[in-house]
Amino acid sequence: MPGVASDSGGGASDSGGGALVPFNPEAQVAVVYPLHHGLKPPVSRLSISWSRGNTLRVSVFCPEPSVDDSGDEPGGKVVEVRLGGGGGEISDAHWRRIAYGSVIPFALLQSKKNAALTLSKMSMNSSPYNVDWLEYVIEYSKDINLLLGNPKLPPSPAIDDPKSVLKKGEEPTSLKAAWELLEIFYADKLSQVWLPERLVDWLADYDCLLSVSHSTVHSKLLSFQGELVRLQIVEDYPKYWEVMSSALAVGWLEIVVKMLRLHGSYQLDQLSNRETENGLVEAVAVLISKMPRMRPELESGKLGECFKTKPDFMKAWEKWRAQLNKLELSAFWFQCSHQQTREGLRNMLQIMLGNANSLSTATFNWIELYISHLLYIRPFTMGLESLYSLAQKCIQLKPMAGAHSLMGLIIGILGENSEVVLAECSRGFGPWMVAHAIELLTAGSDHAEVLLHQECLNLGGISLEELHRLVYAQVLSSHALTWQIAPIYLTSCMKQGMGLLEILLSKQPVQHNHLLLKNIEICRLYDLDSISSSIMKISGVYHWKHGRKDSGVFWLQQARDEVQLNRIAQQLFDSVGKTISDESFKQWEGLIQLLGSESKTAGGLEFLHKYRDFKKSLQQVCDGKTTDAARQAVESLISLMKNPSTPQRFWLPLLHDSLKLLNWQERPLLNVSQTNLLLNKLQELSLARLRPDFIEADLPPEGLSSIRLALATNLGRAFLEE
Amino acid sequence: MAIIGTQESPQVYRLPQYRYVDAVRWLPPVSAFDRFAVVAYYDTDAGSPSVEIHALNPNPSPTLTPQSSWTPPSRISSLRTCPTPLSPILAASTFLGSLHILACNSANGAVIESEASVAELGFHAGPVASVDLRDGGSECVSVGEDGRVNLVSIVGNSSNLNYRRVFDGNGLVGYTAVKWASPTEFVTGCYGFGIHWWDQRKPGGPVTQFKGNWSQGKTSGIIHSVDIHPSRKHTCLAGGSSGVAFAWDLRTPQQPIVLSGIETGGAAIHSLSESEVWEVQYDCYARSSNISNISSSRILPVMMCSEDGILAVVEQGEEPIELMAEPCAVNSFDIDRQNPSDVICSLEWESIAILARP
Amino acid sequence: MEKPVATLERGTTCSSWNYCGERLAAGSDDGSVSVFDSREPSSSSLTSSSKFKVHETGIVKIVWIPPEYGDAIACICADGALSIWEEVVEDVGTQLLQWKKCKCFKSSSSKALDVQFGVMGRSLKMVTACSDGHVKVYELMDPLELKNWQLQAEFQNVIDSVSSFRKASCLSACVSWNPQKGENQESSFVVGFNSNTPQLNSSKVWEFDPAHQRWLPVAELASADDKGDQVYSVTWAPNIGRPFELIAVASQKGIAIWHLGITPDLDGRLSVEKVALLSGHGGEVWQMEWDMSGMTLATTGSDGMVRLWQSNLNGVWHEQAAFEPTP
Repeated sequence: MPGVASDSGGGASDSGGGALVPFNPEAQVAVVYPLHHGLKPPVSRLSISWSRGNTLRVSVFCPEPSVDDSGDEPGGKVVEVRLGGGGGEISDAHWRRIAYGSVIPFALLQSKKNAALTLSKMSMNSSPYNVDWLEYVIEYSKDINLLLGNPKLPPSPAIDDPKSVLKKGEEPTSLKAAWELLEIFYADKLSQVWLPERLVDWLADYDCLLSVSHSTVHSKLLSFQGELVRLQIVEDYPKYWEVMSSALAVGWLEIVVKMLRLHGSYQLDQLSNRETENGLVEAVAVLISKMPRMRPELESGKLGECFKTKPDFMKAWEKWRAQLNKLELSAFWFQCSHQQTREGLRNMLQIMLGNANSLSTATFNWIELYISHLLYIRPFTMGLESLYSLAQKCIQLKPMAGAHSLMGLIIGILGENSEVVLAECSRGFGPWMVAHAIELLTAGSDHAEVLLHQECLNLGGISLEELHRLVYAQVLSSHALTWQIAPIYLTSCMKQGMGLLEILLSKQPVQHNHLLLKNIEICRLYDLDSISSSIMKISGVYHWKHGRKDSGVFWLQQARDEVQLNRIAQQLFDSVGKTISDESFKQWEGLIQLLGSESKTAGGLEFLHKYRDFKKSLQQVCDGKTTDAARQAVESLISLMKNPSTPQRFWLPLLHDSLKLLNWQERPLLNVSQTNLLLNKLQELSLARLRPDFIEADLPPEGLSSIRLALATNLGRAFLEE
Repeated sequence: MAIIGTQESPQVYRLPQYRYVDAVRWLPPVSAFDRFAVVAYYDTDAGSPSVEIHALNPNPSPTLTPQSSWTPPSRISSLRTCPTPLSPILAASTFLGSLHILACNSANGAVIESEASVAELGFHAGPVASVDLRDGGSECVSVGEDGRVNLVSIVGNSSNLNYRRVFDGNGLVGYTAVKWASPTEFVTGCYGFGIHWWDQRKPGGPVTQFKGNWSQGKTSGIIHSVDIHPSRKHTCLAGGSSGVAFAWDLRTPQQPIVLSGIETGGAAIHSLSESEVWEVQYDCYARSSNISNISSSRILPVMMCSEDGILAVVEQGEEPIELMAEPCAVNSFDIDRQNPSDVICSLEWESIAILARP
Repeated sequence: MEKPVATLERGTTCSSWNYCGERLAAGSDDGSVSVFDSREPSSSSLTSSSKFKVHETGIVKIVWIPPEYGDAIACICADGALSIWEEVVEDVGTQLLQWKKCKCFKSSSSKALDVQFGVMGRSLKMVTACSDGHVKVYELMDPLELKNWQLQAEFQNVIDSVSSFRKASCLSACVSWNPQKGENQESSFVVGFNSNTPQLNSSKVWEFDPAHQRWLPVAELASADDKGDQVYSVTWAPNIGRPFELIAVASQKGIAIWHLGITPDLDGRLSVEKVALLSGHGGEVWQMEWDMSGMTLATTGSDGMVRLWQSNLNGVWHEQAAFEPTP
């Protein structure tokens, strides 16, 4: 549900009682946020209004000022609260960039999914989730991953500065760390054989994020690096050895080897009298760099020996362990006079030999401990087997208060509890994460698929997947720059997406053409004709009433709103009627021309057009043009009077305008039937006058009688002529 | 649709800006080595607009470095640049209805040196829709949907600009685009695919009018952009709704030459896009570089950008060449007059694209 | 998290946003209205663009008229007068915008307590709820002018149309239209009263019966023992595809969430079910608003808090978050 969710509720409880977001039913109190308005208390009243999406506007009113009040305080404030999107470690502008960037991967995956579904229906294949399918998902995951930041440089030793053990890369984000976790477990099914190593890499990249709330190997390393510059004989400092053991425990071999080489025994002037010592240091360094690792490849600069298959790896592992044991039992230790070196190195050997106590001392939180167990105690773990129980054991050994959102996520994943994974994604990373992570979850877990695709009556018949897309679309709708991409997500919602899209579109402002046209374009793309015409109608009325007659008529025409156009035609008629002899008629003419002659779109405007033609020819008659012009004027008059769209109230003014035609000197211009038509209209008018809603025409007092007289005369003359 | 391109495809560089780009133009060169672009931004988070000059560093891939910035009273609705003998000047109009002339200092890079504005009530009622600077930069024409056409004379670097109302349509006609044709003539675009041709020697109203009345009014639209080629002053190029780009030759005023969009008969020809064409410009980077070789009745190549993310070159009677197809709208573009191979575009998703054509 | 959007003048008592949230009308105790907006697109910082005097008494409530009919507002004043104002350019030459009074409804016998507009097909309807317990439905006669209103129906908020209460005295009332504008959907609204007449109080859903051109009560949103409860506020949720309607009703017992069936039974009644009774504000509930998806309900009340309510996956309604105004 729209967003507020992100940090309400009481932590990562189990299934959260069915809530989307962990919500503790016992704790009936919702989180109370302060709403800063900057007014002097007290406040007399509040007023609320939802804007687009998740934006809530609150008007805060002050009570009536007392008499002695100075009066320069404002009487109230309106504040806007955007609920649930973004926030946290990522700025709004960056969130928008992520939102833009995820549109194409998401849309692409949906279209492939639809194609695969159609195909599977055709071939009677039960599941569309075949190998190709997984390829699409991993492609999607990689695209999104790339969007969340550049590949982070691993904390590998820098070549230039021997004393800089941690390399500074781009600041990693928890969002990217979380996405990679999901990718490792759900999308990248094919490389699950190497799962432990992938987790080692993951921790190497993101251990620093955990430092925010807890001490970590990374934070220890970082603080030691600060000291390192000032240290003369590093091996004398216990911290040197502690830090190296820690780094070794979590598998950061490069760092350890680089630090070992800072050992004083390597210095040329000391090499001779510390030969044995140096030999031991080097032996450990070599063993570390030869550690067998079960993974497809190692990036350059990374240490260890790479094995792709389990049998090879096991063989190499046994051999390496034997070498460690041999060194551990070696007699050279007694010849090593430097106590710290001796103890430090032997502790490192214990770590590599999987001594649980050493591992526990060397690591600072359960994830680090967990990784160290995977590396040195259970190197042959494959897939998800027993990973969860191991995690639980590590949590027991290193319990921690106030878990980092990433830790909650890992527990959820390892426990194969999709509800928790969703809840953690929502709590820690918001609606964007949930809407996009669902694609990975449904592809990677049958349980999640059932959970997310099941239609839920309590949600009004939609699935969780749809719900989360709707929620994300609401977040997008809240911002003026991102609402345009909400339709991509809404149209992927089978049941309620279009409903929300229609509301979203009809809540967009229409004053500025640029935005309006973008709005209409979306209507066009999704065949929302009725919304489109309603928007155009709103715009038309807006412009018309705000003095921009041209744009007003244009938009009403586009909306094919004949009711309004007819009314406008009437208003125009009045104006045109008033100003016909003026110069400004020219201007009106342009507008009438815009109104067009097409009866379909213009409705009663057809009348206005004829009226314009009539006035034009009448003008020519007045200018002393020929009888031809007069005949044309009569034609226009008759067609106007015949036309049912000519409003009754204009009949008399029209006839009055035509007096000159009716009294044409040379010969009668109207024949008998034409004159009769006009007389009938006069008759109709006198009947209509009895009705209450009749509007009296604005004519000179003798107007009606002169029309009658002219018509009668014309009838007589026409009879004679015929 | 199939795009038959004989040319190599251009290099496209997308530069995220984290702010909405309201308008973008190349700045006429201030020195032989530097290249600058003018960008009108709107920062939605801070609610602040700005006009900034950025230096373009082409290597290894283009980057923009801000040089100087000016804060307008509101968002920019239209932006034009123009070289003058001294230094390039910019004309920027706002949604508040004001016009601003900015002069750049050519001595130290490109720094906005002075600003003069017409901001009085009644200059325009509502936003200024479009502005254009006359060659040489001594005069600027502005139009709006209020139907007003104003001429602003720019004398030196005076902080006081004078304007004169050429026409007031009183809202009975609204203008959406404007472009100078000669020192005394200009064209304006309006609703219903209308074009008005103005000549200052014949004041009082437009000299000639065109109304795009194709397909019996079923599709009508708004002109968003007009352009005139210096060597073909009798032909006006226009782009607008429904993917329409057409040329209107004063010598045959009844027959527009449709380059893209809906043909008079209703059948679409070379329709690159069905959505709004936001900008059109003559593309001076033609393969047959010598324009004088092209018959004067033939329309020169035209570049256009659209709401559905297309940037393309269309040529009369030939298949269009799509230069770029973005997932979001291309809101405006500008071809560098000095290096016509280079195009700068503003994209809907808060970014700028720079195209280098081979 | 919060961002100031506008600063209101002293004496401001109420405010209302237009359909797209770009303009704000604020009413004051001296009877004037200020309209806040921004002239550039997508700006969220608003300034007062016009101020005009509506009435001699203070303004209690402002409601924007649907945008299809222009930029216009209806104002209810402390003395119960209801007036309609719209923004227009009268003189095309100057293009000067001004707010013009279109219509004023004033009655010596009753006050207007609430007004809401609904678009029904091609026509605009206005429903007012008055202090004498009457509900009046008006229709706009001319789509381009907001001055010509015709009274179409007048009734009291009771299921049994025979009974009539002459001495009803209502403190407040609340009307809410079904927000759906579907072509083939009959118009309906819900209205509840806060009065001394128990029969009038409970919220009832009224639907237009086109066959007989009249408004009929099709549902009553109250349990048997709550029927006389005074209603502070009602609001009908947007429906983007649920198989039922959702209406929130606030009374002194709390905020009740009702499901309203979509298909009528043989008597033309709609099924109702109270799915939740939420307490939080303690005393009076001032205002309730559904978000655009109809999933979150925001409320304010006499405890001075803003509260947000949602249903969870099990269909259980709960308070999701609350906001406490702080200096």
